[in-house]
Amino acid sequence: MDRQQEFVLRTVEERDIRFIRLWFTDVLGVLKSVAVAPAELESAFSEGIGFDGSAIEGLTRVYEADMIAKPDPTTFQVLPWRGDRHGTGRMFCDILTPDGEPSLADSRNVLKRALAKASDKGFTFYTHPEVEFYLFNQLTSPDEKLVPVDRGGYFDHLARGSTHDFRRAAITMLESMGISVEFSHHEAGPGQNEIDLRYADALTTADNLMTFRTVVKEVALEQGVFASFMPKPLPQEPGSGMHTHMSLFEDDRNAFHEPGAQFELSKTARQFIAGLLVHAGEITAITNQYVNSYKRLWGGQEAPSYVSWGHNNRSALVRVPMYKPGKGNSSRVEYRALDSAANPYLAFAVILAAGLKGIEAGYELPESTEDSVWELTDAERRALGITPLPHNLDEAIGLMEKSELVAETLGEHVFQYFLRNKRQEWDAYSAQVTPYELERFLQFL
Amino acid sequence: MTPAGGPDGDSVALEDASAGLLRALGDTADPDLALLQLVRIAAAAPGRLRAFLGASAVPSEQAESLPDPWGMGRSPRAAVSRLLGVLGASSALGDELVRRPELLDVLDDETPGTAVDPADVRAELLRAVDADPASRTPVAGTDPTPPSEAGRRPVHPAERPPSYTDRLRRAYRARLLRIAATDVTAPEPQVVLPAVAAALADLAGAALEGALAIARAEQPDHAAGVRLAVVGMGKTGGRELNYISDVDVIYVVEPEEGVHEGHALRAGARLATALARVCSGTSAEPALWQVDAALRPEGKQGPLVRTLASHVAYYERWASTWEFQALLKSRHVAGDPDLGRAYREAVEPFVWQAVTRENFVEDARAMRKRVEDNVPSAEADRQIKLGTGGLRDVEFTVQLLQLVHGRTDPAIRSRTTLNALAALAGGGYVGREHAARMAEYYRFLRSLEHRIQLFRLRRTHLMPTTEADLRRLARGLGLPDANALDKRWRAVRREVRTLHEAVFYRPLLPATAQLSEDELSLAPEAAVARFAAAGYRDPAGAMRHVTALTEGVTRRAAIQRQLLPVLLGWFAQGADPDAGLLAFRRLSDELGSTPWYLRLLRDSEAAAARLAQVLASSRYLAEALARSPESVQWLAETASLEPRGAARLGAEADAMLTRATDAAAATVSLRALRRRELARTGVGEVLGLLDPVRATRAISDAADVLLAGALRVAEHLAREPAGIARGQEPARLLVVAMGRLGGQEMGYGSDADVMFVYEAVPGATERAASDYALAVAMNLRRLLSDVGPEPALPVDADLRPEGRSGPLVRSFASYVEYYERWSSPWEAQALLRARPLAGTLRPGSVTAPVPDAGPVAPGGAVAEGFGPGVAGGLSLAERFTELVDPLRYPSGGLDPATVREVRRIKARVESERLPRGVEPARHLKLGRGGVSDVEWTVQLLQLQHGADVPALRTPGTIAALSAAREAGLVDAADAAALRDAWVLASRLRSAIVLWSGRTTGAGVDVLPHDRMALSGIARLLGDVGTGAELEELYLRTARRARAVVERVFYGAE
Repeated sequence: MDRQQEFVLRTVEERDIRFIRLWFTDVLGVLKSVAVAPAELESAFSEGIGFDGSAIEGLTRVYEADMIAKPDPTTFQVLPWRGDRHGTGRMFCDILTPDGEPSLADSRNVLKRALAKASDKGFTFYTHPEVEFYLFNQLTSPDEKLVPVDRGGYFDHLARGSTHDFRRAAITMLESMGISVEFSHHEAGPGQNEIDLRYADALTTADNLMTFRTVVKEVALEQGVFASFMPKPLPQEPGSGMHTHMSLFEDDRNAFHEPGAQFELSKTARQFIAGLLVHAGEITAITNQYVNSYKRLWGGQEAPSYVSWGHNNRSALVRVPMYKPGKGNSSRVEYRALDSAANPYLAFAVILAAGLKGIEAGYELPESTEDSVWELTDAERRALGITPLPHNLDEAIGLMEKSELVAETLGEHVFQYFLRNKRQEWDAYSAQVTPYELERFLQFL
Repeated sequence: MTPAGGPDGDSVALEDASAGLLRALGDTADPDLALLQLVRIAAAAPGRLRAFLGASAVPSEQAESLPDPWGMGRSPRAAVSRLLGVLGASSALGDELVRRPELLDVLDDETPGTAVDPADVRAELLRAVDADPASRTPVAGTDPTPPSEAGRRPVHPAERPPSYTDRLRRAYRARLLRIAATDVTAPEPQVVLPAVAAALADLAGAALEGALAIARAEQPDHAAGVRLAVVGMGKTGGRELNYISDVDVIYVVEPEEGVHEGHALRAGARLATALARVCSGTSAEPALWQVDAALRPEGKQGPLVRTLASHVAYYERWASTWEFQALLKSRHVAGDPDLGRAYREAVEPFVWQAVTRENFVEDARAMRKRVEDNVPSAEADRQIKLGTGGLRDVEFTVQLLQLVHGRTDPAIRSRTTLNALAALAGGGYVGREHAARMAEYYRFLRSLEHRIQLFRLRRTHLMPTTEADLRRLARGLGLPDANALDKRWRAVRREVRTLHEAVFYRPLLPATAQLSEDELSLAPEAAVARFAAAGYRDPAGAMRHVTALTEGVTRRAAIQRQLLPVLLGWFAQGADPDAGLLAFRRLSDELGSTPWYLRLLRDSEAAAARLAQVLASSRYLAEALARSPESVQWLAETASLEPRGAARLGAEADAMLTRATDAAAATVSLRALRRRELARTGVGEVLGLLDPVRATRAISDAADVLLAGALRVAEHLAREPAGIARGQEPARLLVVAMGRLGGQEMGYGSDADVMFVYEAVPGATERAASDYALAVAMNLRRLLSDVGPEPALPVDADLRPEGRSGPLVRSFASYVEYYERWSSPWEAQALLRARPLAGTLRPGSVTAPVPDAGPVAPGGAVAEGFGPGVAGGLSLAERFTELVDPLRYPSGGLDPATVREVRRIKARVESERLPRGVEPARHLKLGRGGVSDVEWTVQLLQLQHGADVPALRTPGTIAALSAAREAGLVDAADAAALRDAWVLASRLRSAIVLWSGRTTGAGVDVLPHDRMALSGIARLLGDVGTGAELEELYLRTARRARAVVERVFYGAE
C-alpha cells in the first residue's frame, strides 16, 4: 500500500464517502463507470476490480471477457454534485488483462504508450483544449425542435443570461475537482459556450476532459437544460470544435520556442507542425470520429477544412497563435480540426505521434498561408499544394486504414476495432433516408 | 649483513634505523616504486622528510616490542610504515606527496582513516572551504570560526590563495591519503575492506556537502529558501564506495515555507549543476570523480531536480522494477537531512513492494540478463565488476533475495551488500556456508578493485596485464606472485558464477535433501515467495516435485540433489517452469536408474541445460522425450540434432523394411521413425539450432520416408490376398505429393495431401490393374491413419480430380482425359505443388531380404527410382509431370476470366472456410495476411508467369516467392512483407503445437488470446519479445502482408 493509496483511503473515511466510482473510457471515448463500496477499495488497489469487458465497446475480444480495472489513486476526486453528506468519489482506472498486463484495448494506455515514446526522446507533451458545446432547452419528446437556451453571439454578455449562471456553476464545480479553467465565454452560436482548460500534461488533460464532459452535463441537468458536445447540432450555426493548443517541453524548457526565429518557432516546432500537416488526413478519423464531425469540418464558419498552417490565420488547420514577447514558455501550436466529441486519449496520442514523426524524420515545413483558405479557388489551392481533409467518415477511414503511423500508435487491436466500428457507423448512416431528402425529393420526383 | 659493501668497496655501516627502513621497504607492495618516490620526496622537501624519518629514531613502543630476528634493527615506527605502504601501493598518492610534502603530517597522525564519525569528516571538509559545519545550510567562505581555531585546515602556500574548489579537493585527498594509509598497512586487506569502503563513502558524502557549500556561495542569495537533499545511490548509498568510481546521486528539492515551488526548482537545478562542476570540472587541482545523476526519474531525459511529490508520482506511475531495485540503496548523503530522510521514507515502500508488481518475474529475469550481457567482449576476460562471476553478479543475487524476502522481513533490508548478506544468512534465507563463501569472494573482488584503482587513482574495473602491475597487486593482497593471484581470481570468478543458482535455489530443497549439515532449507513461506519470484505458478506443487526427486538413498536421488538447484534455475528461464519440473520428474521416474541418463546429467552441463529448456518450453517435446527417452542423448551432441536428411532416413527405413517379417510391426517402426524425427526437429527448433524453413523441410522429409515405406507395406498387403507374386503386379503406382507435403513445407500437425496414379503393366487387364491399385491405395491410407501406438499421419486425397466424389485412384490415361476435358482453375492451382513422391514396381519386398534401391530421395531428380520406363523411356512420374506442366504453367499465362475466377474462389474461401467465431486477423492459416493469403498470391504469380520464368516452377512457396522477386514480378518490399508473414505464421503454427502438445483441434491455427499461452509461445520462439509484443508483431506483419495481397493478388488499387 503506497502513500497515495493510503491518502485515498483516509479521505474516504474522513469525508464519509459511501461510493467510489471507478471510471474508464471505451474506445470511442465514452465514459464508463463502476461503483465500489469503501470496503472494497483496498482490494481494488491491490488487485483491481474484475468486470466483464465483452459488453464494452472495443474493450475486449469475445474470448477474453474478464478484464480488470485498476484505479489510479493520483486521480482521486470527490464528486461535488453528489452532495456533501455520504459523498461519492471517483478515480480513473487503467484496464488490465487478467494476468495484469496493460490491456491493449485501453485507450488510456494508448496515450500512456505514446507519451512514454515522447519521453524516451526527452519530451513532455502539454495540451490545452478549448472545448465548445451547446446548451439546449430540455426536450420533452424526440420530435421536438432543438431550441438553444439563448440567442447570444461571440463574447456576448447577456443580461440575466442563464448561460452565465451555468458557466459559473460549471467552473466552480470543475475547480472544486482540481481542474483549472483558463477562460470561458459565450461562443458564436446561440446557446454555444466555450470553456478552456488550463495547460497540463496530455494524460491529465485527457482525464480532465472526461471529467469535464460529465460535469457540464451534470450542471446542465441541475439547471434544467441539457448540454451537447455533438460536433454540429444546428446546420446553420457553427459547430463545436475542440481547438487544442500544444507544446513539447524538454525538462522545463519549451522546445517550441526559439527567440528571434520566425514566429519565435524553433526547428522542433516547425518539424512538429510539418508532421501534423503530413499526417493530418490519416488521423482525421480519430480526431473527428463521427459522421456528424464532417458536417462541422465542411460546414464553413472558419472550420479547418484544408491542410495548411498559418500565423493567426483563423482558417488554417494548424495555427501559431500570436506570440507574447518574453513568454518563451508559452510558445505553442494550435490544432483546429479536433472536435469536442473525440476520444481525447486516442486523439492526443495520434496528434503527438504525427508531430513526433515530423521531428524524427525531419520533415520540411511548407510555406505558411496567410489568406483565408476558404476564399481561394480550387485551382489556387492546388497550386499552393493545399489538400483538403477527408470529406466524410468513409474517406477518413480509407486514409486511416493505410496509415502505419496510426496503426503503430493505437496498437493493432484498437486500430482494427476502431476501423470496424467506424465502417459499421458509416454503413448504418448511409442506409438512412434523411428529412432533407424527403423534403427535397419526395414531392419533386 | 649489517655492514654492507659500498660502491667503492668500503663497507658502509647502516644505522639501525636505516636498516629498519630497508626492511620496511621490502614489505611494501612495490619496493622499487616506494624507494623511488621516497627519493623524490627527499629531493623536494629534504628537511621535512628528514624530520619525519628522524622521528623514527625514537622508537615507538610498538616497534620496541617487535622481535628483530635478523638483527636488521628495530622496526621503523608506524608512521614510516604508513608512508612506505602508501608509496608502494599508489603512484598517484606518492606523486601527491612529492607535490605537497606537508601531507606527511597526515601520515604522522596516528588516528586511523577508518571508523571515523561521518560528522567529523563532514566538518573537516566544510572547514576547508570556510563553511560552518554547524549550519544546516553551510555556505563556503562564511565560516565565523577565527583562524586560530582552524588548526585542522590544511596548510597551503600563501602566494596565490587557491579557489574553494581546489581547497575542497586538497582536503579530500588528504583524507583519502589517511584512508589509504590505514588500508595498505592493515594486516588483512580483505578484513579491513568494509571499513575502508564505508570511510570512502563518508568522504564522498562530505565532499558533496563541501561542493554544495561552494555551490551555495556562488548563488546571489546563497539559494535561500531552497531545501536540497543529495541522495546517494549505488555504492555511495550502500556506504560501500570504491576509491574512484562515479558517485550516483538523486536530487530532491523543496521550497521553504513561503517560497514558490518553481523558484525552488530552478535554484535547486542551478545548485546541482554547480555541485557537479565543483566535483568534476576542470580546476588547478585534479577532479574528484564524476557525479552521475542518471538514476533519477526518467534518467538523463528527466529534470535534474524534482520535488519529493514529483518523485513519488513518478515512482507510482512510471517507474520500472529495476528502478526500485536501485532505490534499495538510496541514502541521504548531503544537503537537507530531513528532506533526505523524508525521501527515503517515501520511496522505501516502493522498494519492498516491488516483488508484488505484476511483471516482477519478467523484470527480474531481464535485470539478470543485463548483468550477464553488459560486458564488451574485448574486456570480458579482465572484468572484475561486470559479467557473470563479477561483483555485479554477487550484488544482483543479494539484492534479488532482499527484494523477494524483504517485503515480509525488515531485518534483511540493509543497503550494504555484506551486511545484507549476513542478515540473509541470519534470517535463514541463504545457507551459512554459501553466505560466508559469497562474502569472501565479494571481499576479495572488491579488494582487487580497490588496489587496482588506488595505484593511479583511476576509475577502472579491469585486471591489469603487465607483470609488474600484477606482482604489485599480488603482494599488496598478501599473495606470493602474479601467478597465484591469477589462479585465485579465476577460481573466484568460477565459483561466483555458480553461486547464484546455489544460493537462490539450493535452499528450496527439503532439509532431508541437503548435502551437508550446514545447508539450509527455507521456511515454507519463504520457499513459496522464492518459487513465485522465480516464476513458478504453483510453488506448493513445485515443492512436492522437488521432494519426490530428491528423497531416498538411490544414486539417482543423490545426483539430483546436486543437480536440482541448477535445473530449477533453468526451468525458471523457460516458458512454463511448472511444466518443466513436472516433465523432468516424469522423465526421471522413467529413466532414473539408467546409467547413461545419470551420467549425461552429471557430466554434461550443456545437455542438462538443454533438457531443462526443452522441458520447460514445450509440452509436445516433453511428451516426445518421455516416449523415446533415448532421444535425451541427442541433447549432449549438437550434431545429432541436425536433420538426418531424406537419403539417410530412406536408407534406415529401407533396412528396417528389408529386415521386417510382419506388416503391422513394420508399420509401427516406420511411424516411430517419423515420430522420432519430429522430436528431433522440434528440439532443434526450440534450442534455436534449426531455422523455421529448414524445420518444415525436415518434417516433410520424415513424411516422405514414411509414405514411401508404407507404400511398400501396402503393396505387400495387396499382393498377399490376391495371390500375386512379387514382380507380377498388374499395375505400377505413383504417389503424388500435394499441398504442403508437395511443397515440402509441412508443420508438426500437417496432413499428407496425396493423389494416386496407376498404369497397367503390359499384358494386365485394366480391371486387374485398377483393383490392385485401389487395394494398395486403401491399404496405404489405413496403415498411416489407423490408431496405433505411434502417431498417425492422416492421408488426405481430396485434391484429386473431382475431389471427394472422384475415384481414389485413377489410371494415367484417365488423368490425361480428365485434364483435357475438365480441369478447373483450382485444380491447376493445386497442381502447382504436385511432386511425384514414391512409385512401386521396384524389386524387393517387405518380407524378403532382397536388396532394394530404397525410396526416392525427395526433391531429387524425379526421373530416378520410379521403376522401369515405358513409352519412350520415360517413367510414370516423368510422364505425369509432363502431363500437368502445361496445366499449371500455361503458356501465355492466364486469361482475365480465369484470373477473375481464381480471385472469386479465394474470396469465397475466405468467407466460408474460416471457422465460426474466429477473428479473421488471428487465424494463422486462413486469416487475413495468413499462410493461405501468401500462398494464393504466390500461386497466382506462378500460374501467370510459370511458363516464362522457369525458376517459378517449384512446389515451394518461399522458393517461388524468391523467384518471383528476382524476375521482378513483385517488388522487394512486397516480397519481404509476404515472406515475413508466411514465415512468422508458419513458425507460430509450429510453436503452438510445440507449446501446447496438441497437433489437432480448433486452437492450433489460431493465435491464442490467452496471455499465458502467448507468452509461452513468445518465449519458445525466443526472438519476438513478450507475449503482448508477439501479438502486436503478428497482427502488424499480417496486416502489411494483407495490404500486399490486396494489391498483388486482388489487383486492388
